[in-house]
Amino acid sequence: MVAACGLGDPVSYNRDVRPILSENCFSCHGFDEHGRKAKLRLDRREDAVAPREDGPAIAPGKLAGSLAWQRIISDDPDDLMPPPESHLALTPAQKDILRRWIEQGAPYEPHWAFVPPRLPAVPRGVAPNPVDAFVRHRLRAEGLSPSPEADRATLIRRVSLDLTGLAPTAEEVEAFVRDPDPDAYVRLVDRLLASPHHGERLALEWLDAARYADTNGYSIDGGRHLWLWRDWVIQAFNDNLPYDRFLVEQLAGDLLPGRTEAQLVATGFQRNNMVTHEGGTIPEENLANYNADRVRTLGEAVLGLTLACAQCHDHKYDPLSQRDYFRLFAYFNTLGDKGLDGDGGANAGPVAKLRTPLRAGDPERVRGRIAVLRALLATPDEALLAAWEREQRARLAERARGIQLHPVPLQRISTPNSGGGFSVEGNLLRGLGAAAYDVLGQTPRTDRPIAGIRLVFPASNFLLTAVDATADRVPSDQVNLHRLMRFSRVTASSWHPRHPAADVRAFDKHRGWSPAPEAKGEVHLTLTFERPITAETHPWLTTQVYFASRAAPEARLYVFTGDDDGTDLPDDILAILGKPAEARGPAERARLWEHVAAHADALRAARVDLANAEERLRALTEPHPTMVMAVSSQPRETFILERGDYSQPREKVAAGTPSFLPPLPEGSTADRLGLARWVTMPDNPLTARVAVNRAWKMLFGTGLVSTPADFGLQGALPSHPELLDWLAVDFVDSGWDHRRLLRLLVLSQTYRQSSRATPGLLERDPSNRLLARGPRFRLPAEFIRDHALKVSGLLVRDLGGPSVNPYSPFDLWREVSHYGSTPATAQTFVQDHGDKLYRRSLYTYWKRTAPPPNLAAFDAPNREVCAVDRPQTITPLQALVTLNDTQFAEAARALGGRVAARPGDDASRVRWAALETLGRPPTERESGVLLSALARERARYAADPARAAAALRVGDSAVRGEIPSGEQAAWMQVASLLLNLSETITRN
Amino acid sequence: MDPRIEHLEHLTRRTFVGQAARGIGGLALGTMLLPDLLAKAGAGAGSRVGGLPGVPHFAPKAKRVVCLFQSGGLSHIDLFEDKPELRRLAGQDLPPSAKGTQRLTGMTSGQSRYPLQPSIAGGKLCGRQGAWISDLLPHIQTIADDICVIRSMNTEAINHDPAITYMNTGNQLPGYASIGAWASYGLGTENANLPAFIAMVSQGTGKNPGQPVFSRLWGSGFLPSSHQGVGLRPGANPVLYLNNPPTVDAAQRRALLDDLALLNDERARELGDPDTVARIKAYEMAFRMQTSVPELTNISGESPATLAAYGPEVTKPGSYAANCLLARRLLERNVRFVQLFHRGWDQHVSLGRQLPNQCRDIDQPTAALVKDLKARGLLEDTLVVFATEFGRTSFTQGGFGSPGAGRDHHGRCFSIWLAGGGIKAGHLHGATDDFGYNIAKDPVHLRDFHATLLHCLGIDHERLTYRFRGLNARLTGVEPAKVVKGVLA
Repeated sequence: MVAACGLGDPVSYNRDVRPILSENCFSCHGFDEHGRKAKLRLDRREDAVAPREDGPAIAPGKLAGSLAWQRIISDDPDDLMPPPESHLALTPAQKDILRRWIEQGAPYEPHWAFVPPRLPAVPRGVAPNPVDAFVRHRLRAEGLSPSPEADRATLIRRVSLDLTGLAPTAEEVEAFVRDPDPDAYVRLVDRLLASPHHGERLALEWLDAARYADTNGYSIDGGRHLWLWRDWVIQAFNDNLPYDRFLVEQLAGDLLPGRTEAQLVATGFQRNNMVTHEGGTIPEENLANYNADRVRTLGEAVLGLTLACAQCHDHKYDPLSQRDYFRLFAYFNTLGDKGLDGDGGANAGPVAKLRTPLRAGDPERVRGRIAVLRALLATPDEALLAAWEREQRARLAERARGIQLHPVPLQRISTPNSGGGFSVEGNLLRGLGAAAYDVLGQTPRTDRPIAGIRLVFPASNFLLTAVDATADRVPSDQVNLHRLMRFSRVTASSWHPRHPAADVRAFDKHRGWSPAPEAKGEVHLTLTFERPITAETHPWLTTQVYFASRAAPEARLYVFTGDDDGTDLPDDILAILGKPAEARGPAERARLWEHVAAHADALRAARVDLANAEERLRALTEPHPTMVMAVSSQPRETFILERGDYSQPREKVAAGTPSFLPPLPEGSTADRLGLARWVTMPDNPLTARVAVNRAWKMLFGTGLVSTPADFGLQGALPSHPELLDWLAVDFVDSGWDHRRLLRLLVLSQTYRQSSRATPGLLERDPSNRLLARGPRFRLPAEFIRDHALKVSGLLVRDLGGPSVNPYSPFDLWREVSHYGSTPATAQTFVQDHGDKLYRRSLYTYWKRTAPPPNLAAFDAPNREVCAVDRPQTITPLQALVTLNDTQFAEAARALGGRVAARPGDDASRVRWAALETLGRPPTERESGVLLSALARERARYAADPARAAAALRVGDSAVRGEIPSGEQAAWMQVASLLLNLSETITRN
Repeated sequence: MDPRIEHLEHLTRRTFVGQAARGIGGLALGTMLLPDLLAKAGAGAGSRVGGLPGVPHFAPKAKRVVCLFQSGGLSHIDLFEDKPELRRLAGQDLPPSAKGTQRLTGMTSGQSRYPLQPSIAGGKLCGRQGAWISDLLPHIQTIADDICVIRSMNTEAINHDPAITYMNTGNQLPGYASIGAWASYGLGTENANLPAFIAMVSQGTGKNPGQPVFSRLWGSGFLPSSHQGVGLRPGANPVLYLNNPPTVDAAQRRALLDDLALLNDERARELGDPDTVARIKAYEMAFRMQTSVPELTNISGESPATLAAYGPEVTKPGSYAANCLLARRLLERNVRFVQLFHRGWDQHVSLGRQLPNQCRDIDQPTAALVKDLKARGLLEDTLVVFATEFGRTSFTQGGFGSPGAGRDHHGRCFSIWLAGGGIKAGHLHGATDDFGYNIAKDPVHLRDFHATLLHCLGIDHERLTYRFRGLNARLTGVEPAKVVKGVLA
């Protein structure tokens, strides 16, 4: 596009001609033998100029003798090329290029990306940084000049976000702006490159490319454990592991001599593909799909080749045969994976139990925190105890008050995967097994409101996993996910010490309620509704009873009026409570506090923190299951599959690399290690170019090659070919030093330019391919959320560990999943609490069929397949996220609290808030708008204190007690305004 | 291509609706930034926002689509095929000549017998065309004159995930754009207050939970994600994050958005930043959606007769019936593509018990929707699609005569129907053999169905393309596909 060639200039085959031929001709006259028409190839000169019956397609230097040219300019639709039915047509300018090319002798050139790069000479006397030299040389040729350096405030925000994904604090911005040292920027860059968050930031692109997720994908999409691999990636970037080793360990870490645990974890890379255990799917077909996905990922993430095109036929555009494809396929086909695997939350094999490669965590600090929390929970708090006792006594006083049971006449029962053997009669459910049963009943008419439901079972060793209910005006055979009843209490007649009644609301297949082992006769479970119902308002009641493993064969269903006669207090606690406090002995007092510490609502936050800390310690110190590569003891053979179909094997092939690329290094083995050596040999023309292009794209928004997954003949030409090659060669020569590469790029003046676009420049080069100005683009989804968390002060900076489930607006998992019908995990969403709400977004649990909606809104991919180029859309749904998502509303509240708590006048607070969110002080006018917004909101809340208090009740984190609600609520609105500014989510 | 035009088109593609730089309510920034391009961008746009220049390629018969997707594999054998041979040979094995050698799923490939099972209920010949429709669908029987049944649909896929992905995106593998996303991409929207593509999911009572559905089915694949279907859910938050945080009312939000626009506008001028201009528009549309969506989902203005027509479940939020009514309300508002997914059609077991329930879910509301559209004059230019990912085997899965028996997946032939804009009403297309197992006449591959659907929208399926990984990707993929002329009016 910007490389349009002028009249009379020599035509360049690669730049000018090949794109035209590739787009319009090669699909029928190219590499693919099967799709070829008229036995004519135009992608190779010897074929194009070869004599044919009626003359050569191209006669170098002779238009009249070039049959192809005659067809191109033909008036006869039957003769015209490309044929009209292809919907392709050459423009006059394209025809002109072809005409001149033929006149100039029709020279061909090998495709640039398939030839190893040679170090081009850096243009002399232009700029000291080679990046700038290449870019400015080109600008000069175009008659443009570079933009001035961006101001320091912009620079620190830009480079901090690019290298760590986190913006600088207000104080960091001010210190940097004031720093008189001319080397301040260099020092800043080095500090950021050494940050542990650098690895997190770089991991993002690689997780997309490697299609990392926490679930198996396909229709059932159950949970898996592969976060150790994600943590390996973070550590590798933090260690600045040379890129060649980065690839070798991921492709073949298991085959390295004396391989370490971490190198085995690394091989999870090619286990990130989706897997299924869906009944009825055919194992051979699944395995073929898995391997095809591995080849595709290798192609797009590492080689910049759209290899997947050659699964069914020879590549239409690149010289890649189907045979080449299956030779690559063979490298991965030796894995001993099974075609149906991964059910019940257990990883699909091969698996290993390994320790985290991450060294950023500090187990000692976590142990300290655990000790503090345990001590807190172990220390009786008399005031808390007294309050708890008052609450329990009040509840006990109401216990069984007027309770009356009413059998529910049941009408229908269903379960998803079984046709019979179960039934309902009266209020009895019969023939139950390990499954979820939905029963529809009529709400009994009662003289008082119905307070809840009771399930009565014959005592046995069952484990009731979950109970749900909906009450409605119309009958429903199944519970309605959108109208699930909320319960204020769950009690049971007795319980197993590890399976208390309340666990039927834990939604975990290993948890639930089980009666006491010694219980005889009948046992029951009672669930009290948050809001009572009546038969008049809710004539139909649907109840779901779910046994994941050990079922009770039958149950009776009642509703009750009055108050639950059960209690969640064990007998010994009841006995202790029965005594006056002064009459209790030390053992009784200890037992009582132990119970309070384990159950009191007032200590829930401490218990959550403790559980999170304990999990964190285990993540840092204990082995965990992960998926790895291995070579099967009986490796599968690989065949060329006709049309890519697993059921049509043809010729047997051995592992090998595509013939159009340089051969394997001497002495390479025919296994993944050999493949890895080939990928990373200095002569591989693609690997380094693709890697530097990815780095460039991360920093400049668009790659030097704008099609990062396709360096083939249909891919875009590099905007600065010499620069790309210089960077690639230099990268390899430096020992594949990724950090050095990034440092070189961010220290360039090209990177540091102001992004300000004048109308003239915008008109001349709207997409900024010539780089006459600095890069500006919207932040990736994850960093938008991370930024809100950071400025709110809520961000938890722990690295790595199991993925977390922060707020979700709805149970988006259960809506689409197999809940109640499969042992697979991750079928219903259970929100986490405490620190887990505030982790960086790359730790958010990634369920492929329902990815986190607040990230998906900002173009995060679903991670089903390799993605190397996220789109950048602008939609109203994004506005709804940053305005209304609990996560963002809570962040606004917390940021507002931080601002309100600052000393100084409103103007200085507004200034600080802008510095913190935007990385720059507000202009006078902006300050005016923000201050008047503040005044307006203050007036609003002053008039309505209750509204202010209610406005602050969003999110789990504590509200600051020391600042008046109205003040905080007003600042919360100002904070929300700041968080929603376009500039806030843009990296400028 | 002129780089400026290319950039403008790029901006256009990435915004949810419409040209980034056009008609920024009261803000003149766009004109300042991209002076002479605006005339080009605005030319002939009419009331439509977004979409590609030159699309539709020819005068469309349908302006909008509602796709009633029966997820799990609807049994054509029980619902749309009358096969005397099956009744005669009930319990006997499917003859090898009909069964052929094609693959079966792992659920029945190990069976020693393949006993034939005729449809579980009676049926009648309906409408001018005399389409046999099961008595399990008594209401759909009454709209036979409005619909065109295709009994010769076929797909290569035999399992849910690939099959439903194929039917909805034209490819069995993930990563491709759904039909609705293509429609949004090509045609844009004619309602600036609602997304161009809306998806709704309901749970069937035949089998609950049914086979999962996933966002990929209404996703944008390689197309810009602004074209993905927006989920509309029952309850207080019909679009995720639609509701303001606690206590924030519309007036307060308006005041905040005015401040926001002021600050954004100023900065955009300062930096020359078209993205910020587009974002200001997006915030305004978000604000309008906060009104337009609750107005859409509030059915209190519907007449008792209308509600009664859709059946008793219409007042149950999230039900198929409620979604059908919402679909009509969306189509009335000119939403381009509305898609319902009703789960639970996967009758491997207990066919006799599950299928009647599943049919009851959808029969009355489906017929009511077609009649309602017709009564309001909307059926003329609305394409109604009643589809599924595959059919079911004419032999049983499990023992013949057992109450637990069901039917396995069957892709070699299955039934769908179309109605409305561009479709030959009261018509029957294609036929299967005596066993409802193989196609006997006029096969319609799902690619042909896609080509036909686009044709009704005025789109040549070969010319609606998107550059992806070096290919001009299209909904109908790389294999040949043809418009099924026989079903067109």
